[in-house]
Amino acid sequence: MREPTYFVLASLLDGPLHGYAIIQRTEKLSGGRVRLATGTLYTALNRLTAEGHVELVREEIVNGRARRSYGLTPPGASALRAEASRMAEAARLVTDHGRGLKAVPGARKASPA
Amino acid sequence: MSSLERRSRWLLRAYSAWYRRGRGEEMLSTLLEASTPGRNWPSLRDTRALVIGGLRVRGWAWLLTMMWIAAGAVITGYIFYATTPNYISADVPGTGFIGFNAGPAAVQIVAVLALAVWIALFFPVLVGGLFRLRGWRRGGRLRAAGWAGALIAGYALLKLAQAWGNSASGVSWGELSICAAWLVLGAVMTWILAGPPRRSYVPDPTSRAGHEASRWPPGAGDLRT
Repeated sequence: MREPTYFVLASLLDGPLHGYAIIQRTEKLSGGRVRLATGTLYTALNRLTAEGHVELVREEIVNGRARRSYGLTPPGASALRAEASRMAEAARLVTDHGRGLKAVPGARKASPA
Repeated sequence: MSSLERRSRWLLRAYSAWYRRGRGEEMLSTLLEASTPGRNWPSLRDTRALVIGGLRVRGWAWLLTMMWIAAGAVITGYIFYATTPNYISADVPGTGFIGFNAGPAAVQIVAVLALAVWIALFFPVLVGGLFRLRGWRRGGRLRAAGWAGALIAGYALLKLAQAWGNSASGVSWGELSICAAWLVLGAVMTWILAGPPRRSYVPDPTSRAGHEASRWPPGAGDLRT
């Protein structure tokens, strides 16, 4: 799963959002790192909808234009959780390694797992 | 309509018409909401993302076709140019031979490159188009035949341009009409490819149903069985 996709799914954890709200929420969640362009967002939404990870939940007319809100589906939520635990596991490789170094001052080799 | 809206609308033409019918207005409002207030032009980032997104929707077959059409237009334009006085200089004095000026080196290089692109892309365009149109299925056969016909027409046009260019004395305006015919051919080929791909990854945004029903156009999912 690519980073923009991950953050798009994560932005929907608290409930359905429309296009611009997803961009804002994604930026906030990633600490300003992931700033989705509109074209990128809809490419991701098209794919996520086709995969069944995201679905259209609401359509309203705002200022004469269609505003569609998208929500996380159960398969989307589990894909997001699977990705989160995969990344947590990958992160542990490094974070635990660092702690091992601190526990044994002056150690040059990695402590045995 | 603000100038930003007008330009954003124009930029959205990077996407195919069938796609814009479903998503255009929605994307436009997101684009406008996401733009910094006071802007008159869409940002470079947005522009880039829309062009890439549009190309993804239009697909490889369309991109290769457009490159092939551009190459053909350059070649036929060059053949026309080769009959103009810019290209043919006066007779070489005292010999009776016609002298060729052959124009700037850049023109020659562009023409040779265009010919290489045209030859190299002929079969990729044919195969890519047939694949995209699902030419082996019953529903796709008519469009596939149209596609093959367009490529044969393209080949014939180029041969015709060469024949006219070789036999013409003086400026050959026929060459210019073939160059125009090439651009028409490009429009026809875009039109043949215009529909959504049979197995579209673009969902129907108006459908609330789940995965299976969210294929666009409605019924496209049936083809997968």
